[in-house]
Amino acid sequence: MKNNLLPLGTRDEFGRRAVAKQKIISVIQRHLNQRGFSVISTPLLEKQEVFDQYQLGNYQMYRFLDSEGDTIVLRPDMTLPIARFLSSTNIPLPQKFFYVGDIFRISRRLSGSYNQLTQAGIELIGYDSMKAELECLMIINQLSQELLKKNVEIELGIADFAPTLLEFLTTDKELQNQIAQALYDKNIPEYSKLIQQYSDLPQYKLLKKWPRLFGDPTTVFDELNNFDLSFELQSKISDLKEIIAWIKRVMPEQKVSVDLSSRAPQSYYTGLTFRGFYQDGNDYLFSGGRYDKLLANFQDQTEPAVGMGIDVDMIADLTIPANKSKKTMIYFDKDQWQEAEAKLKELPNSVLSLSETKNEAEVEAKNSNATLLDLTGDDRLE
Amino acid sequence: MNENRIKIALTKGRVEKQVVPLLEKAGINCDQIRQKKRRLIFDSPVQPYEFILAKGPDVTTFLERGAADIGIVGSDILVEHRSTQYELLDLKTGDCQFVLASTKNFDPDEPKRKIIGTKYPNITKKYFDRLGQDVEIIKIEGSVELAPLTGLADAIVDITETGTTIKENNLKIYDYLDKVSTRLVVNRMSLKQHSKEIYALVDKLEGAIKDENLSKEY
Repeated sequence: MKNNLLPLGTRDEFGRRAVAKQKIISVIQRHLNQRGFSVISTPLLEKQEVFDQYQLGNYQMYRFLDSEGDTIVLRPDMTLPIARFLSSTNIPLPQKFFYVGDIFRISRRLSGSYNQLTQAGIELIGYDSMKAELECLMIINQLSQELLKKNVEIELGIADFAPTLLEFLTTDKELQNQIAQALYDKNIPEYSKLIQQYSDLPQYKLLKKWPRLFGDPTTVFDELNNFDLSFELQSKISDLKEIIAWIKRVMPEQKVSVDLSSRAPQSYYTGLTFRGFYQDGNDYLFSGGRYDKLLANFQDQTEPAVGMGIDVDMIADLTIPANKSKKTMIYFDKDQWQEAEAKLKELPNSVLSLSETKNEAEVEAKNSNATLLDLTGDDRLE
Repeated sequence: MNENRIKIALTKGRVEKQVVPLLEKAGINCDQIRQKKRRLIFDSPVQPYEFILAKGPDVTTFLERGAADIGIVGSDILVEHRSTQYELLDLKTGDCQFVLASTKNFDPDEPKRKIIGTKYPNITKKYFDRLGQDVEIIKIEGSVELAPLTGLADAIVDITETGTTIKENNLKIYDYLDKVSTRLVVNRMSLKQHSKEIYALVDKLEGAIKDENLSKEY
């Protein structure tokens, strides 16, 4: 067996991709430090029970046994470890955290997906106020400008919109579940079959429209005006409207849409959800929401919280420059080191050549497709 | 420039033959596909669609990775490959059904751990899970009927349109599983990025399917 092969679904990162990722991470860190967030770093390894609440979707977790025989996993998510951390320490709340790190999810074999992903994110713990959601939206707006030079589209949703609406429709939990699944998966043939039994009800029109209840907020809300919604749903919708009005006021150029037909990004979300996507990317770049009950998995007391993940790999895919300007390689004698250092500072995208002779330096420059700047003789190449 | 072009991955072969007339009925120009020769990718200058031709399982891979916006593929493949994308339309063509079949002396109730040959291990497992039976599954790539005839397996789970191949090989159907038909599937992100264009296509196709079924009835 060859000893220099990588496990399936992993990769080494170097060159343009590594540089792009490093830049993205430093922009995110600088931004969040400036906002006064505290950095937090949790281990890659956690006990499996930490993720009992986590919906894996189409993924598996990497699992090991430790010396005690307990099952240990490589973390597939960053939020649950932070909830575990808070419940086991006496950190006074509220707190604003941010993190950057790798998560591990085993995707389908040979599907072209990577199993190690870099994620950044924030968790605002102990904040009941809608201001917590608003700060997240502000961060999406500003970070997407800083990272992509363009705004992403923000998509807002309500985690329990579908469950609440379905509770009014039927008391049969199994049926509620089936309808919700078909709706979330937009499995329209299955969904149409399931709602057929309500064709005599006044809500049937809404049920039929439901899978398409996403997009421009005004259009979606106009659509909803035709229906008699429960008080509970109406108050959720009016929160959503308030947030959209705030966005229009505070960041008028921000594109915003709503989606009342999709599954929340994770089952632990309880309130408003928000995601950001870009016209070119093939997944969401930002994804988060309110999860007021999450800490209850680890302790008796619940804490209001809002969090958001940022897909660093996806942003890297979108920002890797197509071709970079040529590098300059500085060749010099040891006693010219200070002069060389000055050049290094002066020239963007330059590097010191450590070759002993000029011939070697020429070969080195050629191999890395760089222009050679020779500080040793008269024949200086500019 | 490609922002509003929709990439459609069409399963080549039988699905392609059945779906092209339907697409044409919905007003989509398919001349390039009809005159394709050996080409696999068609970017039309007259409409916002680019077609690619691929094998069914690959259509799901293209969709999962966002390399195609829309896929046209059999529901057998969607279920077997556990597609997580949006299934917006049943095209009501390519109708067939999964069956459990075997030789005439097969006893489905015999108390033993059965050996089942199939091209669809996930669907087979799901079916026997529902029956509360644990079976040994052997993955077979084609001519699945051979498995019980040669003694490789006790029975097979396979897809059949009319049951002819099964009968001609002296096999008998013991149970009917899920029905299968061709579906239009959309990548989750694409539906958000191109919802207008995609729904316009879906609605046109839905109209064409309704007309088709009405004319079948009369």
